[in-house]
Amino acid sequence: MLTRQAWSPYLAGVVIGLLQIPAFLLIETALGASSSYVTMGGMFASWIDPSILKIDYVARHVAATGKNWWQVALVIGIAIGAFVSMKLSGAKRAAISPIWQRALGSTSPAKRYAVAFIGGFVLLLGARIADGCTSGHGLSGMAQLAVGSTVAVAAMFAGGITTAMLLLRRI
Amino acid sequence: MSVTLTIIVGIAMGIVFGFALEKSRVFEPGIIVGQMQLRNFIMLKVFLTAVATGAVVLAVLNGFDYVKLQPKPAAYAADIIGGLLLGAGISLAGACPGTTLAQIGAGYRDALFTLVGGLFGAVAYSYVQPALAETFLGQNGPKLIFSNMLGAPYWAGALVLAAVIVVILVGLEAWSPWRGEMGKDVDGDLPASPPARKASTHPQPAE
Repeated sequence: MLTRQAWSPYLAGVVIGLLQIPAFLLIETALGASSSYVTMGGMFASWIDPSILKIDYVARHVAATGKNWWQVALVIGIAIGAFVSMKLSGAKRAAISPIWQRALGSTSPAKRYAVAFIGGFVLLLGARIADGCTSGHGLSGMAQLAVGSTVAVAAMFAGGITTAMLLLRRI
Repeated sequence: MSVTLTIIVGIAMGIVFGFALEKSRVFEPGIIVGQMQLRNFIMLKVFLTAVATGAVVLAVLNGFDYVKLQPKPAAYAADIIGGLLLGAGISLAGACPGTTLAQIGAGYRDALFTLVGGLFGAVAYSYVQPALAETFLGQNGPKLIFSNMLGAPYWAGALVLAAVIVVILVGLEAWSPWRGEMGKDVDGDLPASPPARKASTHPQPAE
């Protein structure tokens, strides 16, 4: 089981959904990922510009609270878990997924890295404006029947589909 | 719970999360971009299954009063504009904020650029947040949940949602089985769909 390269999406989805149990019971919060970028980004930025900590939004996110640093630990754990899973199954990845050559119409790693950087920037800018990402609004918000989160998820798919159809080539 | 303990819990939960993301292949750019180009539905399958599972879990935990719900406020302008940008970022990065870390763990080098871009994006937002909070992109709003609007208890609404999702997933799986969406190297890199057959004057060989 642990050495298989792929699980059914339904098994994996159940495992991910069950993570709401420790999140709500132990941390008293819902699964989420994008706030951790403010915590880490705010901390790094404060080394260059200490005045960023005077912004209440940043101060709230870098404060030494369980919720803030639990989420940073969660995303670090995601990288560890994916690494261990990949090692166990031997599903080693190339530096860049082969689909990008078709999606971008280019074999240049520099072009891919630039698009990834811009994509990451827009990804987190959007997530912070919406106050949540695919995890916080998607997994947790929709499971809680939150109206705003459902609107945000619909907008995510609308933005994602439009961009993938218009800016990327067919993979 | 002390901060140290929450960090240990966070890492343990993250390892399980990352493991499931890797095994489901939903972290693959080929699966995520394929979903947004509507030719691969693994992402929707994992996502909806996790939502339904979470809904059942919370129906029980909240129904028996073990936990309080934590819905985010409905701030429609922020939800829509932020959601559109976030979606555009998902397609360009081939990742969302959580799966970026799974890509790094699995060895995709471009995901490091997504991560750094994401940190810059979060910091850029932080600088403009005080100004944005005063505009229509502020994040205040009522913590609306659908079941309350309908006058039903949350647990009932959550169970209905889970049941509806199960029906959708059964249909989705019958229409497009997941094994066919993985690709040879389990990365969602599928052979190009056969080009539409040109009107040909040559007779097709009989089969």
